[in-house]
Amino acid sequence: MVQILYILVEMAKKIIAIYFISVFVGIVFFVGASFLLKSQPDCANSRTCKSDLLVNVDNNAIGMFQGQKVIPPKIDLALDTLKPEYAVLGASADTGEKHIYINLDTQTLYAYQGKTQVMKTLISSGKWGRTPVGNFNVWSKLRSTRMAGGSGADAYDLPNVPYVMYFYHDFGLHGAYWHNNFGHTMSHGCVNMRIVDAKELYGWIDGPVSGQKGTPVSVCNKFISPNTCVQENPIN
Amino acid sequence: MTIRHQLELETISAVTLAAFVGIFLAMYNNNHRPKSSIFSSIPVMQEEQVSAVSPLPAVPVLPKPQIISQISSDGTKQVIMRTTYNKDNTQTYTFSTADGSGANEQAIISKILDSTKTMNIPFNTWSPDNKYFFVQEQIKEGSTSGIMAFKALGEPFNSGEKYFDVTDLFIKRNTGNNFSEATGWASETLIIINTTAPNNTKGPSYWFEVPSKAIIQLSTEF
Repeated sequence: MVQILYILVEMAKKIIAIYFISVFVGIVFFVGASFLLKSQPDCANSRTCKSDLLVNVDNNAIGMFQGQKVIPPKIDLALDTLKPEYAVLGASADTGEKHIYINLDTQTLYAYQGKTQVMKTLISSGKWGRTPVGNFNVWSKLRSTRMAGGSGADAYDLPNVPYVMYFYHDFGLHGAYWHNNFGHTMSHGCVNMRIVDAKELYGWIDGPVSGQKGTPVSVCNKFISPNTCVQENPIN
Repeated sequence: MTIRHQLELETISAVTLAAFVGIFLAMYNNNHRPKSSIFSSIPVMQEEQVSAVSPLPAVPVLPKPQIISQISSDGTKQVIMRTTYNKDNTQTYTFSTADGSGANEQAIISKILDSTKTMNIPFNTWSPDNKYFFVQEQIKEGSTSGIMAFKALGEPFNSGEKYFDVTDLFIKRNTGNNFSEATGWASETLIIINTTAPNNTKGPSYWFEVPSKAIIQLSTEF
């Protein structure tokens, strides 16, 4: 009898041990798989995505887009610091939250401060890569950086991309000097703007400061008004 | 099979099952986050006030001349179009270019059109390097009837022509598709042309290469 009881107790111990080991292994796999799935961000610039997204000025480099050579604009950061010349969007009396809306349907960007529309202009969103739909915040502002990626005929390498405002991983709003086809999709996922428009927006938009998030950016499939941004399958 | 072997088998089975469940839950969690179809956290904007329509003057008068301009992407150049309304029901369109500030204005061309047609400066008028620009002529119903490409200061091309009539050159090329619109510049010298197929569906896109007048069919539609 004692022998049988001893065997039963030993079996119970082993079953409990198996239960805890199984739960532990399940948790480990859950955490591991979650980490691996989340650590694969969408990437507009497949080369720069592997490195830091930092300020980069190269006034001697030649750009390349759609198999065509492009001469990048010369950028002098020292001159920028002395004389930024950023136009101020909106009136000084404007109050309220700043918000950027991108209408993918009409390829239009809207900038609002409170209820006041301070900018409306044509943009070029993703043609060779999808522009992510969702609600984001500007997480980095760079006066200039290098963007490169794609492959084959779609490969691109663009130094001195001006007025970059990243809002999701390496997807950002920025000036484009290599084409002038705004109002039509033309990018690998970023939001291309005329340089004059990007410059104005760059001077107006807020990056993250002292723990506060940067200016919100909503990418909409259709934008009707600030309270009606239609988003199909947003990523967040 | 001994009890020990049975327990070992059950242990392996349970741990394997737990691993699969863990991965499944992680994948499910990653793909099924709550999503909203309408983003509605922003306050409602006031409706725009509609301005009252001015009454027509008693005596018909010719409209005042109009001036519109379009600045280049970098803000250093602009195309200016002046429209004058003539008594014979025609309009005179005069084009010039200038620096972004308006200085150094240079007359380019003047064209008289009857009232069934208009001219305009597209948003993407300037080539990215500001060496060329194009303007368009439209039938009032909206379809583009002509695209004219110029050098920035209006100087003639190597062929001696003051401008290239892109639409005319496209028709002469006889691609089998109909010119629809020129949307802008793919690069410093390439104008993007969209077409309609003979069955009225969207046709392929083309590049018009300005210096050489070459027309290149694309595999990508713009």
